[in-house]
Amino acid sequence: MVFEDISIFLLEIIGPFLETIAPYMPGETTPVVLGMEFFHRALIAAILATVVGGFFGSFLIMRNLALMGDGLAHVSFGGIAVGMVLGGVAPLWYALIFSTIAAILIHEMQTRELLTGDASIAIFLTGMLALGLVVLSVWDVGITSTVEGYMFGSLLIIDNESLGLIVVISLFALSTLYMFHGSLLAATIDGVSAKVQGLPVRFIGLWFSITTAAVVVSMVQIVGTLLVTALLVTPAATGQLVGRSFKGCMIWTQVFGLVSVLLGLYFSNELETGSGSMIALISAIIFAVVLISKSVYKQYIMKPVANR
Amino acid sequence: MEHSHHEGEVIIQATDLTVSRGGTIVLDNINLTIRQGDFVALVGPNGSGKTTLVMAILGLLHPTKGTVEILGQDSEKMKFDGKIGWVSQAAANLPKNVRITVRELIALGVLSTKSLIPFRGNKQETQRKVNDALRIVGLQDVADVDIYRLSGGQRQRAVIGRALASNPEILVFDEPLVGVDRESRNSLLKLLDELCHKENKTLLMVSHDLPAIRQSAHRVIYLDLVHDKDCCSGGIQYDGPTDQFPDLVGLAALRGIQNVHESPSFAITSHGTSSSVVLSGTSKEEE
Repeated sequence: MVFEDISIFLLEIIGPFLETIAPYMPGETTPVVLGMEFFHRALIAAILATVVGGFFGSFLIMRNLALMGDGLAHVSFGGIAVGMVLGGVAPLWYALIFSTIAAILIHEMQTRELLTGDASIAIFLTGMLALGLVVLSVWDVGITSTVEGYMFGSLLIIDNESLGLIVVISLFALSTLYMFHGSLLAATIDGVSAKVQGLPVRFIGLWFSITTAAVVVSMVQIVGTLLVTALLVTPAATGQLVGRSFKGCMIWTQVFGLVSVLLGLYFSNELETGSGSMIALISAIIFAVVLISKSVYKQYIMKPVANR
Repeated sequence: MEHSHHEGEVIIQATDLTVSRGGTIVLDNINLTIRQGDFVALVGPNGSGKTTLVMAILGLLHPTKGTVEILGQDSEKMKFDGKIGWVSQAAANLPKNVRITVRELIALGVLSTKSLIPFRGNKQETQRKVNDALRIVGLQDVADVDIYRLSGGQRQRAVIGRALASNPEILVFDEPLVGVDRESRNSLLKLLDELCHKENKTLLMVSHDLPAIRQSAHRVIYLDLVHDKDCCSGGIQYDGPTDQFPDLVGLAALRGIQNVHESPSFAITSHGTSSSVVLSGTSKEEE
């Protein structure tokens, strides 16, 4: 299958490099794990998802939709549960279909002002998580380790097909974002101006919703449905604390995101914890440290300037 | 009702424009001509249809009846190509959680449908347009500052700069003076004057701020609801030169209020640091 080929191709390129640097890595477990194929897949997937998630998360925050990522991730869980019962293709495909439909519905409900943002997202969030749990218990799947992997993230469940899907979603998201980022920013800041300028505001909104859904699905295996916000929103929120321009925020978001993921993977190897929870914890700690340093800086160092 | 100072080319022409919303006729048979070089202020109480009229002119909502021609095109089938600039109310319309510099904001104004095609943008051309806009609004010194570090007046200038970046023929303003302090207010009014006379733009400004309008606009269009036995429908109650626009007592007569002093909601209030006339709903049937 095409997606597996993409994954194998990538591993052939990047694998030897990772195996070469593996012995020089600090820690006890990391040098060993870095020589293994499953971790290569995990690392590629995690870095891609972080880069793409950082960009989309920044726009979610700007559009006041920070909860959207969480909502769509829970919808994905519903899809994954149905997928595990029905089988056929990887559960991630079901997640993709479910979250895309949810994203379109949420987008339409919001543009028609049928529901305000938060309410419609919260309804999908709980409804689909509940559906997933009910489906799993009715068909006697129960909360197995695989189900837990989807809930809290597990590097072991990223197979070649999943990695291929993650790569394709990331490339699609990045290339379309490259084309539309100006229009998306214009529509985010002032929809009427953007319309009068001739920008396709409606189309841009729909594209953003659908692509965000796909991006969320690509993150599910790395940090899990319950912790997607950690990769999607936390680095972007940290970046906004530091950046003073749109460009600056984007760069800082990527820095914080990649640091969170690499440190998260390292510590989860060394301390033998789940990857998702460690990444989420590290990114939250970075956010807290930056927030505190910023307020200390403002309070004691910036004060004479602020009083001007 | 033709009271234009200029005999310029007609660039906005509304014919028998009627717009209803939820059974109420918000705009009833509006006929309106705006010529090149006009500086038109659109005034009226809340709910009198000012915004509706502007949206219909821009082709952003479908009229029940009638047509609007803008720059020679039917506004509903309008191909927007940067010939119109929309200046929103900076104080209310800029989202709080976007970090963006003045330069980045103004650069967004250069975007058009063409910029959706990758590798088509001309960086130097964009930069030149952005620098021109920065110069006109006088924000060169703060070009790389986050707009939330600016004063209300500077922020409004940045939003005007964004609308100017595509070098439009028509600029439409939505309450540009709200949230702007007194000093910035005068310099903003001066900027509007320059845009009209030096840059040859046609300006259409929705505003509640009568003193500012008397100071800057050439022409006033006063919209209000007309009350009859079936309720109400909106229409133009005055369209003419600013210097002949009636004062408060005259306005009250226009609105069918006999004694101004007995109407408590029709009052001059202090609004922020600048005083302005608040034309809130007053007539018998309203509110």
